[in-house]
Amino acid sequence: MRVLTVKLRRDLRRSRAQVLGIVVTVFVGVMLFGASYDAYQSLTASYETMFDRVGFADLWVTAAPEGLEATLAADPAVEAAEVRHTVDVPFRIGDRRLVGRVVGVPEGATVNQVMVLDGAMFDPSAADQVVADQHLARAFQLEVGDTVEVATPVGWRPVTVVGIGASAEYLWPSKSRQELLALPDQFGVLYAPDPVVAAAGPAAVRDVVVRLREGVEQDSELSRLATLAMAAGGGDTYTRDEQPSNAALQEDVQGFGQMSFLFPVLFLGAAGLGMWVLLTRMVVAQRAVIGTLRAEGMSRRQVFFHYLAYGVGTGLVGAIPGAAAGAGLALVIAHAYTGAIYVPITVVRVTPSTPVFGVLFGLVGGALAAWAPARRAMALEPAEAMHGPAPTGRGKVTLVERVWPGRLTAEARLVVRNALRNPRRSIATGLGVVLGLTLVLVSWGMIDTVQVLLDRQFRQIQQADAQVAFLAPPGDLSALGRVDGVAAVEPVVQTPVSIVAGDRTYGTILWGFDRDTTMHRFLTASDDELRLGDGLLVGVDLHDLLGVDVGDTVTVRVGPTGETFDVPIAGFVDEPLGTQAYMDLAVLDGIAPQVASLARQAMVRYRSDADPDAVRRSLEATPGVAAVVPTRALEAAADEYMGLFYAFVGIMLVLGAALAFVLVFNTTTVNLAERTVEVATMKAEGVSAAQLARLITVENLTVMVAATLPGLVVAYYVAAGFMASFDSDLFTFTLHIRPLTFLWTALAVLVAGFVSQRPGLRTIRSLDVARVVRERSV
Amino acid sequence: MNEMAVRAEGLGRTYGTGAVAVDALVEVDLEIESGQFVVLLGPSGSGKTTLLNLVGAIDVPTAGHLEVDGIRLDGLDSEGRTRFRREHVGFVFQFFNLIPTLTALENVQLITELTGRDGSDQARAALEAVGMADRADHFPAALSGGEQQRVAIARAVAKRPRLLLADEPTGALDLETGRRVLDVISRLNRERAMTVLLVTHNAVIAEMADRVIRLRDGRIVADTLNPNPVAADRLEW
Repeated sequence: MRVLTVKLRRDLRRSRAQVLGIVVTVFVGVMLFGASYDAYQSLTASYETMFDRVGFADLWVTAAPEGLEATLAADPAVEAAEVRHTVDVPFRIGDRRLVGRVVGVPEGATVNQVMVLDGAMFDPSAADQVVADQHLARAFQLEVGDTVEVATPVGWRPVTVVGIGASAEYLWPSKSRQELLALPDQFGVLYAPDPVVAAAGPAAVRDVVVRLREGVEQDSELSRLATLAMAAGGGDTYTRDEQPSNAALQEDVQGFGQMSFLFPVLFLGAAGLGMWVLLTRMVVAQRAVIGTLRAEGMSRRQVFFHYLAYGVGTGLVGAIPGAAAGAGLALVIAHAYTGAIYVPITVVRVTPSTPVFGVLFGLVGGALAAWAPARRAMALEPAEAMHGPAPTGRGKVTLVERVWPGRLTAEARLVVRNALRNPRRSIATGLGVVLGLTLVLVSWGMIDTVQVLLDRQFRQIQQADAQVAFLAPPGDLSALGRVDGVAAVEPVVQTPVSIVAGDRTYGTILWGFDRDTTMHRFLTASDDELRLGDGLLVGVDLHDLLGVDVGDTVTVRVGPTGETFDVPIAGFVDEPLGTQAYMDLAVLDGIAPQVASLARQAMVRYRSDADPDAVRRSLEATPGVAAVVPTRALEAAADEYMGLFYAFVGIMLVLGAALAFVLVFNTTTVNLAERTVEVATMKAEGVSAAQLARLITVENLTVMVAATLPGLVVAYYVAAGFMASFDSDLFTFTLHIRPLTFLWTALAVLVAGFVSQRPGLRTIRSLDVARVVRERSV
Repeated sequence: MNEMAVRAEGLGRTYGTGAVAVDALVEVDLEIESGQFVVLLGPSGSGKTTLLNLVGAIDVPTAGHLEVDGIRLDGLDSEGRTRFRREHVGFVFQFFNLIPTLTALENVQLITELTGRDGSDQARAALEAVGMADRADHFPAALSGGEQQRVAIARAVAKRPRLLLADEPTGALDLETGRRVLDVISRLNRERAMTVLLVTHNAVIAEMADRVIRLRDGRIVADTLNPNPVAADRLEW
């Protein structure tokens, strides 16, 4: 082995604790990159494979007029266009009820086929056979041969489950784009022969599902076909990207994509800073040696590459196992994730380029970190060999001392001056704090945001406890009011609609409430409360999506019935979940009586002292009631999952603290290494190790505390940016961070920083003064 | 007539410009024969180290001409000076500047490797020449100051340079240790016919030189030959 390599290896071994910290940080960064990026690739591949297998549609046209399917099928860009019907109706399974959806599957369907996982496909001519969607089957322990009752205007009708199946449309069981987060025991799907569903009456929605030919230009063709469908009288169109299940899953998959960027940036950034601090110190310490080697004929290029090798080597030592571990972790994540979501097909894609990129990140990150110190070493002149040990930093009376009333003690002056003595080291310590704060606050901020938004949606806006569906609308509201535990009952209408403004259309849900409803509050972005009137209240995103303002008139097309009417925009509401529309029920009754009658349900609020489950059971037992859907179930589910969220934050806290630890540990040990002679001298003069440790601790904590405020600001903006990337018309992800979160995050990172000094400070106690003096003359 | 190792004419070195310019060396004319043991003597700031640095191509003259080992140094660029140092000179400094993570042998071997020579045999021979062969595998921290300086000398001569430049090589050593280091340098001068330029402010050391050049304020103020050099072990200071 070349002696220069021996030097490199031994130099690194001499700083093994710091190097180990850097190596581990690179390892974690590269591992998380590989794991999240390959998991992202695998999930995308799993979905794509599933979509190809079942002929997942590229375009949906809802409330499609007769004959549209033939027009679309004849289009050269279209491979297949098929008609199918859907109807939302209550299901009764044993003694439990929910509002589900029956989806028609035409005989010989090639688009949106159902993949049968257990049992068999129904007989296309049998009116009493269904295939249960896997999520419904799982939530209600349905097996092949079981019976489900479906509500009809004439009462409950039993159907037999002949198979358990999965569809690309309901991989994530979303009810609609506006209700992406339906719970499996609140919403489920049955697949039935399409003629049976079509016969369900006016509530059945006629859809045309379209699959494009391979190789056609997707965006332009989809846009053209959507325009064509709307011109032909279609109710609304949406593409695969907008399809509810796919949109929800893509939001999730996007999270992996985001993480594959965020993690390497944070971890490799921290590792790079740590390396930079360590190597800069090393170059300063080896000035005389470098000068001597230069005097003896070592070229500048040799010096540069020698010091560059420290960064590259350290980066590679962390990155190579990190890349391997990342590939392994990606397999685990892909299997766990597709298993948790019940994607029937798991495609594990370990892209060879991912570990290569992971290793490259380590290599390039290491090289970048070492670049400046290596350049500094290269620039040293041979004459440096004649100089003795270099003093680290220059003495200077600080601003603090100038403005401090009275005279600081010598100890205080030492602390203040040392904190500012080496700006490079202080900046690195501060950046360690900033990176740690960022990682923790991004994840903790996500939880705070979700909690604040859930509170706004389910406490401040929604005031009802349950939504009641009737077997035969409009139902008997007075009977509900007599149920023990019920405080208030109001009629409500909920129906899918398209809102059209000029050439723009937006598919959403229209709600009809009493003008003076107490079941829903209409809050603006500035928390002003609006009242229902003659116009339409809509979600604030429609301002931009439709290009409309208060006073503008829009056309509302009702999905199931095809009724259309014009109505002015009366105001914009700001709601976290979805972008929906609201009208006075009486006004809706007047202009669209058919839908107002068909879709009539009831909103119920319980007494505060009532047992919600008991009231629900009593409501379900009321004659004419088909199903009772708790409106705050999502909030309850979110609360249940909060433990998982906090586990996630816990992991991020550990990682964030680790980032802060690595940098503060490195800067502290480097600080001590630079001042070994000073410390040894003070020790020789009788200053105790505890006193020295206290001085250095106060000095480091001063820098860390000073970095905390700007760190929190930086972390806040990074978290806001991260959150904004998930913001859409379906979810409002505006960052909310509670004041206490700032406090705990700062405390956690400061404690990590405090603890990270301990190993370095322990060296003070074991410092061999005689040895220090001896080594300084080497 | 002997071959000239160093030939300088009107050699000057000025640091800074304008009002803050400092003339470290002024119009030095000098010729040093190959194989001579020359001591540059003078007080601090006299220009002796500047002269050594110019001869060793560590520094660049701002005036005059300088030829060392037949090579014109005043026209060389940075790469050329590196190549010159690599092939023609060895340096010994007051601070030994050994790499603490390498053994004595590895410290020497590093230079032979970097200068493109074949490794350990030459390094061992150099250590042997300075009487450090039995300490070859020791790390610097385990060596005394004198031993460390002898390793530094071995490092300087392992590549077999024609010229050995030593800047206060005994400055950090006690009398006895200093004598031993000077003895090593003297032997290398005699046995290898290596030209030696040794900078010191200690007039006693000048007694062992073939020639003593005294400097003051950047100029040569005396240049005397010493017909009877004293052995290093007889020096007292």
